Amino acid sequence: MVRKKVPEWLNSTMWSTPPSQPSSFNDDSTLLRHSPATKMSSMKKQEAESISVTPPPSTASSVQSPSPRPRNNGSSISGEYGNSSVAPSSAEDFSRQAHLSAELSKKVINMKELRSLASQSLPDSPGIRSTVWKLLLGYLPPERSLWSSELKQKRSQYKHYKDELLTSPSEITWRLVRSKGFDNYELKSGSRCMLSRSRITDEDHPLSLGKASVWNTYFQDIETIEQIDKDVKRTHPDIPFFSAESSFARSNQESMKNILLVFAKLNQGIRYVQGMNEILAPIFYVFRNDPDEDSSSHAEADAFFCFVELLSGFRDFYCQQLDNSVVGIRSAITRLSQLVRNHDEELWRHLEITTKVNPQFYAFRWITLLLTQEFSFFDCLHIWDALLSDPEGPLVRFAKSIDAQDPLLSLQESLLGICCAMLVLVRRRLIAGDFTSNMKLLQHYPTTNISHLLYVANKLRSKMLV
Amino acid sequence: MVLVLALGDLHVPHRAADLPPKFKSMLVPGKIQHIICTGNLCIKEIHDYLKTICPDLHIVRGEFDEDARYPETKTLTIGQFKLGLCHGHQVIPWGDLDSLAMLQRQLDVDILVTGHTHQFTAYKHEGGVVINPGSATGAYSSINQDVNPSFVLMDIDGLRVVVYVYELIDGEVKVDKIDFKKASTSTSAP
Repeated sequence: MVRKKVPEWLNSTMWSTPPSQPSSFNDDSTLLRHSPATKMSSMKKQEAESISVTPPPSTASSVQSPSPRPRNNGSSISGEYGNSSVAPSSAEDFSRQAHLSAELSKKVINMKELRSLASQSLPDSPGIRSTVWKLLLGYLPPERSLWSSELKQKRSQYKHYKDELLTSPSEITWRLVRSKGFDNYELKSGSRCMLSRSRITDEDHPLSLGKASVWNTYFQDIETIEQIDKDVKRTHPDIPFFSAESSFARSNQESMKNILLVFAKLNQGIRYVQGMNEILAPIFYVFRNDPDEDSSSHAEADAFFCFVELLSGFRDFYCQQLDNSVVGIRSAITRLSQLVRNHDEELWRHLEITTKVNPQFYAFRWITLLLTQEFSFFDCLHIWDALLSDPEGPLVRFAKSIDAQDPLLSLQESLLGICCAMLVLVRRRLIAGDFTSNMKLLQHYPTTNISHLLYVANKLRSKMLV
Repeated sequence: MVLVLALGDLHVPHRAADLPPKFKSMLVPGKIQHIICTGNLCIKEIHDYLKTICPDLHIVRGEFDEDARYPETKTLTIGQFKLGLCHGHQVIPWGDLDSLAMLQRQLDVDILVTGHTHQFTAYKHEGGVVINPGSATGAYSSINQDVNPSFVLMDIDGLRVVVYVYELIDGEVKVDKIDFKKASTSTSAP
């Protein structure tokens, strides 16, 4: 029986996770945001010239070339994550950033180009991620000239949704009164009189049990509203953007609650499921922190549409009836299991057969929450860069079973690819461990170098097609 | 958006057996935030029933109430409005609007809720508004034998109030609406 040999590069010590010192992420991101920006302006001119000569695949291949280069790259990159005092110094980062900025300022953006740039993970400098995500999710069209009209239309649509769905029944009643031109009685305004009554004929009073009653739907939604409220309050308690006592954090929470409630009301099929707040959080964070005033103030509307777009690729996972179907969560987990088996038979065998770690125990959370709970918030943003940019990857071109026209299905595939890479990266510890230690490891995935992870995921998928 | 239920003069079990079933089917727990009761329940079972609809219950003493511990009058603040509660048998002549206006000025409230006449009224004068929710069971009163069961639900939203009047006329529930608002009060002392 021929055992599939694990390639040497996978087993190299470079991939094992070093215990990284807990860096304060706020410092990290601010530093990364500021230093490239300042160094950028001076280096941009030189880089821009060199970039026009070297097309993006070559920068990718320079990262992929064997032994000495990755080690250098790896140490410098791990330096930037683990040590908050070191600014990103690799030339590739600058060249990528220059290329990105150049790409984004074109009149018509080449989406393919953008995707391949973004799959290497975006720089943290302000504004870039927000614009790129909007483009990748199809919220902004590639033609720059259409941006302002698109944005205006979408934002007014969101406002319309909010007006229609989120006004309280009291408010609705008062609007009706005003529109009919009744003169509201004012308390203590002088005259004595019996207050006149108007008969309600359309069953719309607070105790109404009628289906068409605004009040009735309001009371039925109260449970959803409470659930959303509880979840939003619990989102990311360690990040001040979400959970500080400030009015800024409170307004952020309000916006997130509005988005989730509008979504729940528009999609009566899945309504609100716990965990959607975790998927909304990175999107809203990125858009709200956009230095562009216009984008930041309309972050709620933009985040709503991008959230809907992102979720549409995964919405079947949230519907309980579809759990056992081909599109449901169980089949996705089976596909992950199959993926692991194809790459690394030994690991798969040890995990599922010997130690009986059912992939449902860990992969469920990985998949339904798009890995937001497994990594720190800022690492998650980098993973999502790769995730959102993936549809043009090699998998789509060659795999016959996947509908190449459906980018959202390949979004699932790239997610599964990253999950597979996560398993492969800790294979040593998994193979050495038993049920308890493996479960512990997989449910509290150790801090990893994200670039390594994405690189491995990429490599695994390209290998699969060979 | 606060929902306040105002009712009273049930006179259970002496003059009526229970609330009309159509009213009972509408009064489900979870919707109403406060209940203010003008009195004359008269027994503890009704008190417990009202408590199941809403835990925040305010009652004043009517002349036939068996629980002597209820106060004669009560004032409470809900949202921007001050509400006053009194059964009304203490105010003579019964149901007289000038005398009730005097009581309202005494209690210094925006909305005064009283009962005893078993007749729904909503009256406005310089000092504020007087609302009588009538009798929720349709029990006869000393002055009136033909009484329609009625109660009142107030929706207090900021400076505006919508009063929904629920009446049982000929076996059907009829709902009326009254709305009024309060001028925004300027802050008192600098």
